[in-house]
Amino acid sequence: MNLSDSKKKLALAGVLSGLVAVCLAVFGNPVNMAFCIACFVRDTAGALGLHQAEVVQYARPEIIGLVLGAFIISVVTKEYRSTAGSAPMIRFVLGMILVIGSLIFLGCPLRMVIRMSAGDLNAWVALIGFILGVGTGVIALKKGFSLGRAYVIHKLNGGIFPALMLGILLLALFTSLLKASESGPGSMHAPLILSLIGGLIFGAVAQKSRMCFAGSIRDVILMKNFDLLTVIASLFVVMLIFNLASGRFVLGFNTPGIIAHSEHLWNILGMYAVGFAAVLAGGCPLRQLILAGQGSSDSAVTVLGMFAGAAVSHNFGLASSGTSLNPETGELVAGAVTSYGKIALIICIAVCFVIAFTNKREGAKS
Amino acid sequence: MRKKELKLVVTFHTTADAMAMEKACKVRQVPGRLIPVPRAISAGCGLSWCSDIEEQEKLLGIMQEIEIEREAIHECMV
Repeated sequence: MNLSDSKKKLALAGVLSGLVAVCLAVFGNPVNMAFCIACFVRDTAGALGLHQAEVVQYARPEIIGLVLGAFIISVVTKEYRSTAGSAPMIRFVLGMILVIGSLIFLGCPLRMVIRMSAGDLNAWVALIGFILGVGTGVIALKKGFSLGRAYVIHKLNGGIFPALMLGILLLALFTSLLKASESGPGSMHAPLILSLIGGLIFGAVAQKSRMCFAGSIRDVILMKNFDLLTVIASLFVVMLIFNLASGRFVLGFNTPGIIAHSEHLWNILGMYAVGFAAVLAGGCPLRQLILAGQGSSDSAVTVLGMFAGAAVSHNFGLASSGTSLNPETGELVAGAVTSYGKIALIICIAVCFVIAFTNKREGAKS
Repeated sequence: MRKKELKLVVTFHTTADAMAMEKACKVRQVPGRLIPVPRAISAGCGLSWCSDIEEQEKLLGIMQEIEIEREAIHECMV
Protein backbone atom coordinates (compact mmCIF):
# COMPACT_ATOMS: atom_id res chain seq x y z
CA MET A 1 0.00 0.00 0.00
CA ASN A 2 1.33 3.41 -0.95
CA LEU A 3 0.97 5.57 2.17
CA SER A 4 2.10 8.78 0.56
CA ASP A 5 0.24 9.38 -2.68
CA SER A 6 -2.46 11.49 -1.04
CA LYS A 7 -2.83 13.63 2.06
CA LYS A 8 -5.54 11.28 3.35
CA LYS A 9 -3.16 8.32 3.30
CA LEU A 10 -0.44 10.41 4.91
CA ALA A 11 -2.91 11.34 7.63
CA LEU A 12 -3.72 7.63 8.03
CA ALA A 13 0.01 6.96 8.53
CA GLY A 14 0.03 9.56 11.31
CA VAL A 15 -3.07 8.01 12.88
CA LEU A 16 -1.51 4.52 12.82
CA SER A 17 1.67 5.84 14.43
CA GLY A 18 -0.37 7.71 17.02
CA LEU A 19 -2.30 4.54 17.87
CA VAL A 20 0.98 2.66 18.37
CA ALA A 21 2.14 5.40 20.76
CA VAL A 22 -1.21 5.26 22.60
CA CYS A 23 -0.93 1.48 23.04
CA LEU A 24 2.60 1.75 24.40
CA ALA A 25 1.52 4.45 26.86
CA VAL A 26 -1.43 2.35 28.03
CA PHE A 27 0.67 -0.77 28.47
CA GLY A 28 3.43 0.71 30.58
CA ASN A 29 5.74 3.19 28.86
CA PRO A 30 6.40 6.29 31.00
CA VAL A 31 3.50 8.73 31.14
CA ASN A 32 3.88 11.39 28.46
CA MET A 33 6.86 9.54 26.96
CA ALA A 34 4.94 6.98 24.97
CA PHE A 35 7.53 7.01 22.22
CA CYS A 36 10.66 9.15 22.36
CA ILE A 37 13.64 8.45 20.15
CA ALA A 38 16.23 10.39 22.18
CA CYS A 39 15.03 8.98 25.51
CA PHE A 40 14.88 5.44 24.16
CA VAL A 41 18.33 5.69 22.54
CA ARG A 42 19.56 7.02 25.91
CA ASP A 43 17.94 4.08 27.74
CA THR A 44 19.42 1.60 25.27
CA ALA A 45 22.85 3.23 25.63
CA GLY A 46 22.44 2.73 29.38
CA ALA A 47 21.51 -0.92 28.93
CA LEU A 48 24.73 -1.41 26.96
CA GLY A 49 26.70 0.21 29.79
CA LEU A 50 27.65 3.31 27.80
CA HIS A 51 26.51 5.44 30.75
CA GLN A 52 25.90 4.65 34.42
CA ALA A 53 22.66 6.53 35.17
CA GLU A 54 20.84 3.65 36.86
CA VAL A 55 17.31 5.02 36.37
CA VAL A 56 17.55 5.19 32.56
CA GLN A 57 18.89 1.81 31.48
CA TYR A 58 16.71 -0.46 29.36
CA ALA A 59 17.19 -1.86 25.85
CA ARG A 60 14.08 -0.33 24.33
CA PRO A 61 12.57 -2.79 21.83
CA GLU A 62 10.91 0.18 20.11
CA ILE A 63 14.29 1.41 18.81
CA ILE A 64 15.20 -2.08 17.59
CA GLY A 65 11.74 -2.45 16.04
CA LEU A 66 11.95 0.89 14.23
CA VAL A 67 15.19 -0.07 12.50
CA LEU A 68 14.10 -3.63 11.73
CA GLY A 69 10.63 -2.47 10.61
CA ALA A 70 12.19 -0.02 8.16
CA PHE A 71 14.70 -2.67 7.03
CA ILE A 72 12.08 -5.36 6.43
CA ILE A 73 9.59 -3.11 4.61
CA SER A 74 12.31 -1.61 2.43
CA VAL A 75 13.62 -5.06 1.46
CA VAL A 76 10.11 -6.36 0.75
CA THR A 77 9.20 -3.33 -1.37
CA LYS A 78 12.64 -3.30 -3.06
CA GLU A 79 13.47 0.14 -1.66
CA TYR A 80 16.44 -1.08 0.37
CA ARG A 81 19.50 0.77 -0.91
CA SER A 82 22.92 0.43 0.64
CA THR A 83 24.63 3.84 0.50
CA ALA A 84 27.49 5.64 2.28
CA GLY A 85 30.20 8.23 1.88
CA SER A 86 28.66 11.54 2.85
CA ALA A 87 30.79 13.16 5.57
CA PRO A 88 30.49 10.39 8.19
CA MET A 89 32.31 12.12 11.06
CA ILE A 90 30.30 15.33 10.66
CA ARG A 91 27.16 13.20 10.76
CA PHE A 92 28.46 11.49 13.91
CA VAL A 93 28.84 14.90 15.57
CA LEU A 94 25.38 15.98 14.37
CA GLY A 95 23.99 12.78 15.90
CA MET A 96 25.58 13.71 19.22
CA ILE A 97 24.06 17.19 19.01
CA LEU A 98 20.61 15.74 18.23
CA VAL A 99 20.60 13.84 21.51
CA ILE A 100 22.43 16.38 23.69
CA GLY A 101 19.90 19.06 22.61
CA SER A 102 17.01 16.66 23.12
CA LEU A 103 18.14 15.72 26.63
CA ILE A 104 18.44 19.41 27.58
CA PHE A 105 14.78 19.83 26.57
CA LEU A 106 13.93 16.28 27.73
CA GLY A 107 12.57 14.78 24.52
CA CYS A 108 13.12 14.44 20.81
CA PRO A 109 10.77 16.17 18.31
CA LEU A 110 8.43 13.14 18.50
CA ARG A 111 8.13 13.45 22.27
CA MET A 112 7.81 17.23 21.91
CA VAL A 113 4.65 16.65 19.85
CA ILE A 114 3.42 14.00 22.33
CA ARG A 115 4.04 16.42 25.22
CA MET A 116 2.23 19.17 23.30
CA SER A 117 -0.76 16.88 22.90
CA ALA A 118 -0.83 16.35 26.68
CA GLY A 119 -1.06 20.08 27.38
CA ASP A 120 2.56 20.57 28.42
CA LEU A 121 3.14 24.24 27.61
CA ASN A 122 6.92 23.76 27.91
CA ALA A 123 6.76 21.69 24.73
CA TRP A 124 4.86 24.48 22.95
CA VAL A 125 7.62 26.89 24.03
CA ALA A 126 10.23 24.45 22.72
CA LEU A 127 8.40 24.25 19.39
CA ILE A 128 9.40 27.88 18.82
CA GLY A 129 13.05 26.86 19.13
CA PHE A 130 12.58 23.84 16.91
CA ILE A 131 11.01 25.91 14.12
CA LEU A 132 13.76 28.53 14.43
CA GLY A 133 16.40 25.77 14.30
CA VAL A 134 14.89 24.24 11.18
CA GLY A 135 14.63 27.76 9.71
CA THR A 136 18.33 28.37 10.34
CA GLY A 137 19.11 25.07 8.65
CA VAL A 138 17.02 26.13 5.66
CA ILE A 139 19.03 29.37 5.43
CA ALA A 140 22.18 27.24 5.35
CA LEU A 141 20.67 25.10 2.57
CA LYS A 142 19.91 28.26 0.59
CA LYS A 143 23.52 29.38 1.07
CA GLY A 144 24.71 26.14 -0.55
CA PHE A 145 25.24 23.87 2.49
CA SER A 146 26.06 20.32 1.52
CA LEU A 147 27.72 17.32 3.16
CA GLY A 148 28.37 15.84 -0.26
CA ARG A 149 26.68 12.97 -2.00
CA ALA A 150 26.35 9.38 -0.86
CA TYR A 151 27.33 6.47 -3.11
CA VAL A 152 25.81 3.07 -3.61
CA ILE A 153 28.01 0.48 -1.89
CA HIS A 154 27.88 -3.29 -1.44
CA LYS A 155 24.45 -4.23 -0.14
CA LEU A 156 25.86 -6.03 2.89
CA ASN A 157 26.98 -2.71 4.42
CA GLY A 158 23.47 -1.39 4.81
CA GLY A 159 22.43 -4.53 6.64
CA ILE A 160 25.07 -4.24 9.35
CA PHE A 161 23.22 -1.72 11.53
CA PRO A 162 19.93 -3.66 11.46
CA ALA A 163 21.98 -6.79 12.33
CA LEU A 164 23.50 -4.99 15.33
CA MET A 165 20.00 -4.03 16.48
CA LEU A 166 18.95 -7.67 16.11
CA GLY A 167 21.97 -8.59 18.23
CA ILE A 168 20.80 -6.28 21.04
CA LEU A 169 17.34 -7.87 20.84
CA LEU A 170 18.84 -11.37 21.17
CA LEU A 171 20.91 -10.24 24.16
CA ALA A 172 17.76 -8.81 25.75
CA LEU A 173 15.77 -12.00 25.10
CA PHE A 174 18.27 -14.70 25.97
CA THR A 175 20.88 -13.26 28.35
CA SER A 176 21.12 -11.10 31.46
CA LEU A 177 24.09 -9.15 30.13
CA LEU A 178 22.19 -5.91 29.54
CA LYS A 179 21.55 -3.49 32.39
CA ALA A 180 17.94 -2.78 33.32
CA SER A 181 16.67 -0.05 35.66
CA GLU A 182 14.79 -1.14 38.76
CA SER A 183 13.31 2.31 39.33
CA GLY A 184 12.81 5.54 37.38
CA PRO A 185 11.81 5.99 33.74
CA GLY A 186 13.95 3.04 32.58
CA SER A 187 11.91 0.66 34.70
CA MET A 188 8.64 1.77 33.11
CA HIS A 189 7.94 -0.07 29.91
CA ALA A 190 5.35 -1.97 27.99
CA PRO A 191 5.90 -5.75 27.65
CA LEU A 192 8.89 -6.50 25.41
CA ILE A 193 6.93 -8.20 22.65
CA LEU A 194 4.37 -5.38 22.50
CA SER A 195 7.12 -2.74 22.36
CA LEU A 196 8.86 -4.68 19.60
CA ILE A 197 5.68 -5.05 17.53
CA GLY A 198 4.92 -1.35 18.12
CA GLY A 199 8.39 -0.44 16.91
CA LEU A 200 8.11 -2.66 13.84
CA ILE A 201 4.76 -1.14 12.84
CA PHE A 202 5.91 2.41 13.55
CA GLY A 203 9.13 1.79 11.60
CA ALA A 204 7.33 0.38 8.58
CA VAL A 205 4.78 3.21 8.56
CA ALA A 206 7.49 5.84 9.01
CA GLN A 207 9.46 4.33 6.12
CA LYS A 208 6.46 4.31 3.79
CA SER A 209 5.28 7.80 4.73
CA ARG A 210 8.78 9.31 5.06
CA MET A 211 7.70 10.72 8.44
CA CYS A 212 10.16 13.37 9.60
CA PHE A 213 9.59 16.11 12.15
CA ALA A 214 12.35 18.39 10.85
CA GLY A 215 11.58 17.59 7.21
CA SER A 216 7.92 18.51 7.67
CA ILE A 217 8.79 22.03 8.79
CA ARG A 218 11.64 22.31 6.26
CA ASP A 219 9.23 21.50 3.43
CA VAL A 220 6.70 24.09 4.64
CA ILE A 221 9.34 26.83 4.91
CA LEU A 222 11.15 25.94 1.69
CA MET A 223 8.35 24.82 -0.64
CA LYS A 224 5.06 25.49 1.17
CA ASN A 225 4.53 21.74 0.96
CA PHE A 226 2.39 20.34 3.78
CA ASP A 227 2.59 16.60 2.98
CA LEU A 228 4.93 15.58 5.80
CA LEU A 229 3.26 17.98 8.23
CA THR A 230 -0.01 16.11 7.60
CA VAL A 231 1.54 12.96 9.13
CA ILE A 232 2.71 14.83 12.23
CA ALA A 233 -0.57 16.73 12.63
CA SER A 234 -2.65 13.56 12.54
CA LEU A 235 -0.34 11.86 15.06
CA PHE A 236 -0.82 14.92 17.30
CA VAL A 237 -4.62 14.73 16.96
CA VAL A 238 -4.70 11.02 17.91
CA MET A 239 -2.56 11.65 20.97
CA LEU A 240 -4.64 14.72 21.91
CA ILE A 241 -7.88 12.70 21.77
CA PHE A 242 -6.29 9.93 23.84
CA ASN A 243 -5.00 12.37 26.46
CA LEU A 244 -8.32 14.19 26.71
CA ALA A 245 -10.30 10.94 26.90
CA SER A 246 -8.05 9.34 29.49
CA GLY A 247 -7.74 12.40 31.70
CA ARG A 248 -4.04 12.75 30.99
CA PHE A 249 -4.39 16.22 29.46
CA VAL A 250 -3.00 18.73 31.97
CA LEU A 251 -2.52 22.24 30.62
CA GLY A 252 0.33 24.10 32.27
CA PHE A 253 3.98 24.54 33.09
CA ASN A 254 5.78 22.86 35.96
CA THR A 255 3.62 19.76 35.86
CA PRO A 256 5.19 17.11 38.09
CA GLY A 257 5.57 13.57 36.91
CA ILE A 258 5.88 14.17 33.17
CA ILE A 259 9.66 14.46 32.99
CA ALA A 260 9.88 18.07 31.85
CA HIS A 261 11.19 21.38 33.17
CA SER A 262 10.15 24.99 32.69
CA GLU A 263 13.41 26.76 31.91
CA HIS A 264 12.01 28.38 28.80
CA LEU A 265 15.20 29.75 27.28
CA TRP A 266 16.88 26.35 27.51
CA ASN A 267 13.84 24.52 26.20
CA ILE A 268 13.92 26.82 23.20
CA LEU A 269 17.69 26.53 22.70
CA GLY A 270 17.65 22.75 23.20
CA MET A 271 15.15 22.22 20.43
CA TYR A 272 16.80 24.95 18.34
CA ALA A 273 19.96 22.82 18.29
CA VAL A 274 17.92 19.72 17.44
CA GLY A 275 16.04 21.42 14.58
CA PHE A 276 19.23 22.95 13.20
CA ALA A 277 21.26 19.71 13.41
CA ALA A 278 18.39 17.67 11.98
CA VAL A 279 18.20 19.78 8.82
CA LEU A 280 21.98 19.56 8.40
CA ALA A 281 21.91 15.77 8.89
CA GLY A 282 18.94 15.39 6.56
CA GLY A 283 16.40 14.20 9.12
CA CYS A 284 15.19 14.17 12.73
CA PRO A 285 16.27 11.40 15.17
CA LEU A 286 13.36 9.19 14.07
CA ARG A 287 14.18 9.67 10.39
CA GLN A 288 17.85 8.79 11.02
CA LEU A 289 16.79 5.42 12.46
CA ILE A 290 14.51 4.77 9.49
CA LEU A 291 17.16 5.74 6.93
CA ALA A 292 19.68 3.52 8.77
CA GLY A 293 17.15 0.70 8.49
CA GLN A 294 16.67 1.15 4.76
CA GLY A 295 20.39 0.94 4.05
CA SER A 296 22.05 4.30 4.71
CA SER A 297 25.35 3.80 6.49
CA ASP A 298 25.61 7.60 6.79
CA SER A 299 22.46 7.61 8.90
CA ALA A 300 23.72 4.60 10.84
CA VAL A 301 26.80 6.66 11.74
CA THR A 302 24.48 9.50 12.80
CA VAL A 303 22.63 7.05 15.07
CA LEU A 304 25.94 5.89 16.55
CA GLY A 305 26.59 9.58 17.23
CA MET A 306 23.20 9.69 18.97
CA PHE A 307 24.30 6.83 21.25
CA ALA A 308 27.56 8.68 21.98
CA GLY A 309 25.58 11.86 22.68
CA ALA A 310 23.38 9.97 25.13
CA ALA A 311 26.43 8.55 26.91
CA VAL A 312 28.11 11.97 27.10
CA SER A 313 24.89 13.58 28.36
CA HIS A 314 24.65 11.29 31.36
CA ASN A 315 28.34 10.67 32.03
CA PHE A 316 29.08 14.42 32.12
CA GLY A 317 25.84 15.59 33.74
CA LEU A 318 24.47 17.46 30.72
CA ALA A 319 20.93 16.07 30.81
CA SER A 320 18.29 18.15 32.54
CA SER A 321 16.12 17.00 35.43
CA GLY A 322 12.34 16.92 35.34
CA THR A 323 9.95 18.71 37.70
CA SER A 324 8.79 16.34 40.44
CA LEU A 325 7.07 16.16 43.80
CA ASN A 326 9.14 15.57 46.91
CA PRO A 327 7.67 12.27 48.16
CA GLU A 328 8.20 13.22 51.81
CA THR A 329 7.08 16.85 51.90
CA GLY A 330 4.81 16.84 48.85
CA GLU A 331 6.49 20.06 47.67
CA LEU A 332 7.11 20.79 44.00
CA VAL A 333 10.77 20.44 43.05
CA ALA A 334 11.38 22.34 39.83
CA GLY A 335 13.30 20.54 37.09
CA ALA A 336 16.47 22.26 35.93
CA VAL A 337 19.10 22.49 33.25
CA THR A 338 22.62 21.87 34.58
CA SER A 339 25.47 24.36 34.16
CA TYR A 340 27.45 21.81 32.17
CA GLY A 341 24.36 21.23 30.03
CA LYS A 342 24.08 24.93 29.24
CA ILE A 343 27.75 25.17 28.27
CA ALA A 344 27.51 22.02 26.14
CA LEU A 345 24.41 23.28 24.38
CA ILE A 346 26.04 26.59 23.47
CA ILE A 347 29.01 24.64 22.08
CA CYS A 348 26.59 22.40 20.12
CA ILE A 349 24.86 25.40 18.54
CA ALA A 350 28.22 26.98 17.67
CA VAL A 351 29.33 23.69 16.08
CA CYS A 352 26.12 23.62 14.02
CA PHE A 353 26.90 27.09 12.67
CA VAL A 354 30.48 26.07 11.80
CA ILE A 355 29.23 22.94 10.01
CA ALA A 356 26.40 24.81 8.28
CA PHE A 357 28.44 27.62 6.85
CA THR A 358 31.74 25.91 6.05
CA ASN A 359 30.44 22.86 4.16
CA LYS A 360 29.41 24.14 0.76
CA ARG A 361 28.54 22.50 -2.49
CA GLU A 362 31.79 21.99 -4.35
CA GLY A 363 32.42 23.93 -7.55
CA ALA A 364 29.20 25.87 -7.10
CA LYS A 365 28.25 27.82 -10.18
CA SER A 366 25.09 29.71 -11.00
CA MET B 1 -7.41 20.85 -4.81
CA ARG B 2 -4.82 21.15 -7.58
CA LYS B 3 -5.21 18.58 -10.33
CA LYS B 4 -2.19 16.35 -10.92
CA GLU B 5 -0.41 16.71 -14.27
CA LEU B 6 2.33 14.83 -16.06
CA LYS B 7 5.57 16.69 -15.29
CA LEU B 8 9.29 16.35 -15.70
CA VAL B 9 10.98 15.66 -12.36
CA VAL B 10 14.76 15.91 -12.03
CA THR B 11 16.34 14.32 -8.96
CA PHE B 12 19.79 15.12 -7.64
CA HIS B 13 22.43 13.53 -5.43
CA THR B 14 22.28 16.36 -2.88
CA THR B 15 19.81 18.97 -1.67
CA ALA B 16 22.39 21.64 -2.51
CA ASP B 17 22.32 20.58 -6.18
CA ALA B 18 18.52 20.93 -6.24
CA MET B 19 18.79 24.39 -4.67
CA ALA B 20 21.46 25.38 -7.21
CA MET B 21 19.15 24.21 -9.99
CA GLU B 22 16.34 26.38 -8.64
CA LYS B 23 18.63 29.40 -8.55
CA ALA B 24 19.94 28.80 -12.07
CA CYS B 25 16.44 28.31 -13.51
CA LYS B 26 15.20 31.49 -11.86
CA VAL B 27 18.11 33.48 -13.28
CA ARG B 28 17.43 32.06 -16.75
CA GLN B 29 13.65 32.43 -16.35
CA VAL B 30 12.98 28.75 -16.98
CA PRO B 31 9.66 27.91 -15.35
CA GLY B 32 9.49 25.22 -12.68
CA ARG B 33 9.58 24.72 -8.93
CA LEU B 34 11.27 22.78 -6.16
CA ILE B 35 9.21 19.89 -4.82
CA PRO B 36 9.90 17.04 -2.40
CA VAL B 37 11.07 14.01 -4.42
CA PRO B 38 7.78 12.23 -5.28
CA ARG B 39 7.31 9.11 -3.14
CA ALA B 40 6.73 7.03 -6.26
CA ILE B 41 10.29 7.81 -7.34
CA SER B 42 12.21 7.42 -4.11
CA ALA B 43 12.06 6.49 -0.43
CA GLY B 44 14.46 9.37 0.22
CA CYS B 45 13.33 12.77 1.40
CA GLY B 46 15.35 15.11 -0.75
CA LEU B 47 14.29 17.86 -3.12
CA SER B 48 13.73 17.67 -6.85
CA TRP B 49 13.12 20.12 -9.68
CA CYS B 50 9.74 19.96 -11.37
CA SER B 51 9.14 21.47 -14.82
CA ASP B 52 6.93 21.09 -17.84
CA ILE B 53 7.89 18.15 -20.08
CA GLU B 54 8.89 20.42 -22.95
CA GLU B 55 11.59 22.13 -20.84
CA GLN B 56 13.82 19.03 -20.86
CA GLU B 57 16.39 20.33 -23.36
CA LYS B 58 16.73 23.64 -21.52
CA LEU B 59 17.14 21.87 -18.20
CA LEU B 60 19.82 19.56 -19.57
CA GLY B 61 21.66 22.60 -20.92
CA ILE B 62 21.50 24.40 -17.59
CA MET B 63 22.75 21.36 -15.69
CA GLN B 64 25.69 21.06 -18.05
CA GLU B 65 26.42 24.77 -17.81
CA ILE B 66 26.44 24.96 -14.01
CA GLU B 67 27.98 21.49 -13.67
CA ILE B 68 25.25 19.76 -11.71
CA GLU B 69 25.18 16.00 -11.91
CA ARG B 70 21.60 14.80 -11.96
CA GLU B 71 20.60 11.52 -10.38
CA ALA B 72 17.76 10.83 -12.81
CA ILE B 73 15.02 12.42 -14.92
CA HIS B 74 11.48 11.11 -14.55
CA GLU B 75 8.15 11.82 -16.10
CA CYS B 76 5.48 11.47 -13.44
CA MET B 77 2.16 12.82 -12.23
CA VAL B 78 2.76 15.69 -9.81
